[in-house]
Amino acid sequence: MNMEELIETLKIKIIEILNLPDVTPADIPVDSDLMSSDLDIDSIDVLELVIMLRKDYGVNIKNKEMAKEVFASLRSLAAYILETSQGFVH
Amino acid sequence: MRGAPIYIAGMGIISALGYGVVETAKALKEARCYLRPITLFALSADSPLAVGEVELETDPAHPLPRTHYLAHIAADQALADKSLVPDAIVVGTTTGGILTTEALLEKSVAAPHCYRYHGVGSVAEELARRYGCSGPLITVSTACSSGAVALLLAMQMLRRGKARRVLAGGVDSLCRLTYFGFNSLQLIDPIGARPLDRERRGLSLAEGAALLLLTTEPPAEGALQLLGAGLSCDAHHATAPLADGQGARAAMQAALADAGLDPAAIDYINLHGTGTPDNDLAEVRAIQALFGDRPPPLSSVKGAMGHTLGAAGAVEAVVAAIAIDQGIVPANVGFSSIDPVLNLAPVTAPSRAPITTVLSNSFGFGGNNAAVVIGTRRGQNYKPSAELPRPPLTVTAAACLTGAGHTSETWESFCAGRQCCGCLDDRVVTEGLPPRTVRRLKRLPKLSLALASNACRTVPAGRIPVAVSLGTAWGALSETHDFLQRLFETRQQFPSPTDFIGSVHNAPAGQIAMLLSAKGANVTTSGGDASFEQALLAAELLTCPGNDPILLLGVDEAQPVLAPLFDGSVRAAEALADGGGALVLEYGSSHGGPTVALLEYLFGSAPDSIASLVERLGGAEGVAHDYGAILAGLPAYYATQAAEQLAGFLSKSHFCGPVIDYRHIIGQFGAASAVAAVLAVQMVKWGLVPASLSGGSDMPLNGKGILVLGLGTYLSAMRIAPQ
Repeated sequence: MNMEELIETLKIKIIEILNLPDVTPADIPVDSDLMSSDLDIDSIDVLELVIMLRKDYGVNIKNKEMAKEVFASLRSLAAYILETSQGFVH
Repeated sequence: MRGAPIYIAGMGIISALGYGVVETAKALKEARCYLRPITLFALSADSPLAVGEVELETDPAHPLPRTHYLAHIAADQALADKSLVPDAIVVGTTTGGILTTEALLEKSVAAPHCYRYHGVGSVAEELARRYGCSGPLITVSTACSSGAVALLLAMQMLRRGKARRVLAGGVDSLCRLTYFGFNSLQLIDPIGARPLDRERRGLSLAEGAALLLLTTEPPAEGALQLLGAGLSCDAHHATAPLADGQGARAAMQAALADAGLDPAAIDYINLHGTGTPDNDLAEVRAIQALFGDRPPPLSSVKGAMGHTLGAAGAVEAVVAAIAIDQGIVPANVGFSSIDPVLNLAPVTAPSRAPITTVLSNSFGFGGNNAAVVIGTRRGQNYKPSAELPRPPLTVTAAACLTGAGHTSETWESFCAGRQCCGCLDDRVVTEGLPPRTVRRLKRLPKLSLALASNACRTVPAGRIPVAVSLGTAWGALSETHDFLQRLFETRQQFPSPTDFIGSVHNAPAGQIAMLLSAKGANVTTSGGDASFEQALLAAELLTCPGNDPILLLGVDEAQPVLAPLFDGSVRAAEALADGGGALVLEYGSSHGGPTVALLEYLFGSAPDSIASLVERLGGAEGVAHDYGAILAGLPAYYATQAAEQLAGFLSKSHFCGPVIDYRHIIGQFGAASAVAAVLAVQMVKWGLVPASLSGGSDMPLNGKGILVLGLGTYLSAMRIAPQ
């Protein structure tokens, strides 16, 4: 899976896991901060996504500081997944 | 006895520090870390985190869950003087029998009797049976402030003359739900809690219990007092505190004002000090705002014993009493370097100092803040006006929700003599609520927000409730079920943080606080079929004439797996039903709406309880004079007992008006009495009992009220009457 495909997959997962009403994949910004977007995503959502990353990609994000770095944007998240979990992303 | 001080006549404590006051005092002087890797349940992968586990020998053949055991041990100590039987019990707890329930669910045990101690309210019930107390009982479940809120409610019961001796405190056992839940929130410090330290990374979980016998009867000389207590709610976020500590400060200020003291009178502050970056920051900001740059000596004991959650407020009230009694400031174990952001150093070694007055903080999820003041003397500013007798609360608005629909649909069904039982579709429940507010919420918080929003729809902006008192028999069952199911299915690997936050009993009331920006007291009670009655009692205790309005709710959800397993009446019903009721209440007669009052509320079935209830209502004459109809709550699980109670009541009171079996109409669930109260309010406003229920034509109430009777293991009487 390449970067763009992974980003699209993540968008769908985010909408589904966070149960975002009236949000389409196109509404999710790729290069800006998810938490300061107008999607109303907060720290609890990030923790829910942290569990998803562990479960679906074997990626472990141990603390807030690390989460802040990785979740800087959807692109940085995808890059981090590709970098740390080759074995999981098919 | 008006203006009487509230004495501490007995104390019991159990924690990782040891059994009893003497061992606890000794451990506080040693000031070491008592945290060690958890052994209580098996972990499938990760290495065990350090916790404050109690060395407890339990009898595996005994059905009582660990929380109940811990409560027994602490209560036996507090009641060592056997001549002092409590006439009320107030327990703060978040776990109840969940540790046992988890093990049963993991093994797919389907026998309902194995779950009979699941409910958080069963802890107080067990204590009541043990000591022969017929209540009132209140179980508070406000996350980590539960123990402190329990002390406040007990103090108010004593001040208002509703009891002479109250056994009050908090208890929680370690369990999978909190262990994996807090871990999923990344709120646990892997090397053990280091409150206030620059490198702090989170809390350490623990278990324990503390119970205090509070009384207005002057005990032996030198007895310490519960001088005051205060509550507030952040109304900000489900878990994170307001960073500037505004909410924490409001609770501390309220506690000081209640005790009639200035900040300068405090000799020692026992911090909530969990060790999470956010809590400690908010708490220190609040202290700096209230006490200035030079606050009194302060410390958190959670680096030594861990965070006992619902027990913490009571455990630390006992720590405060030990500090005063022994003239010792406990050390903040785990602290080594000052955090430049906090710029505040706690006491790092136990030091001797004459202490007379201690402020102890407890803050919880849902932005739920509490503070208590323990000491030797109230301040000169103490106002006994809080103890004056008061008129009943006036209902300024109401809403209900049943299988039939929202308020108007339920009322129409009720008037037409149709049943309202069922589970209203989720989409209909949340009509009118902002989609983004409800996106992460499951059934119970959705029902709660719908009720709060509908009840407040007609309330003018200045009279929106500031305080919230919510009763729920079983709490958020969907979140609890889903959290545990995923925990088991994924072999403890991927529990949901959202479900954990939502599983806390006071999560719905916290959501309501955010919806309404209600920053006053925020209490959740839970005691089976009497949960709503407990919330009404709490509402009466929390409000004074001149205070802001309070929102009272009773709400329960029919989660298909757990509701029938925990609640025998749900099991006995033909179909699942849920819903609830909400009333906006305030003191004062200017509104002209109906009034609501809890006239009787007892636990157990003492042989003379029905006779004394009739007497309490003014005998047969009083009942005939005051009431035009009775709404009787007969829980299906206690059908025989409840029918006997009702027959006894009718024969002793000679009541001959309509008697309506409201659970038959509304459904078998804990909060059915909240719906009944709302329907009674409607009937009183309308002045009629609908024809379908009076057996003929619409029956005028002629200025009389309606009696809402709760039968079964609890006996309660609510009066809904015209102004």
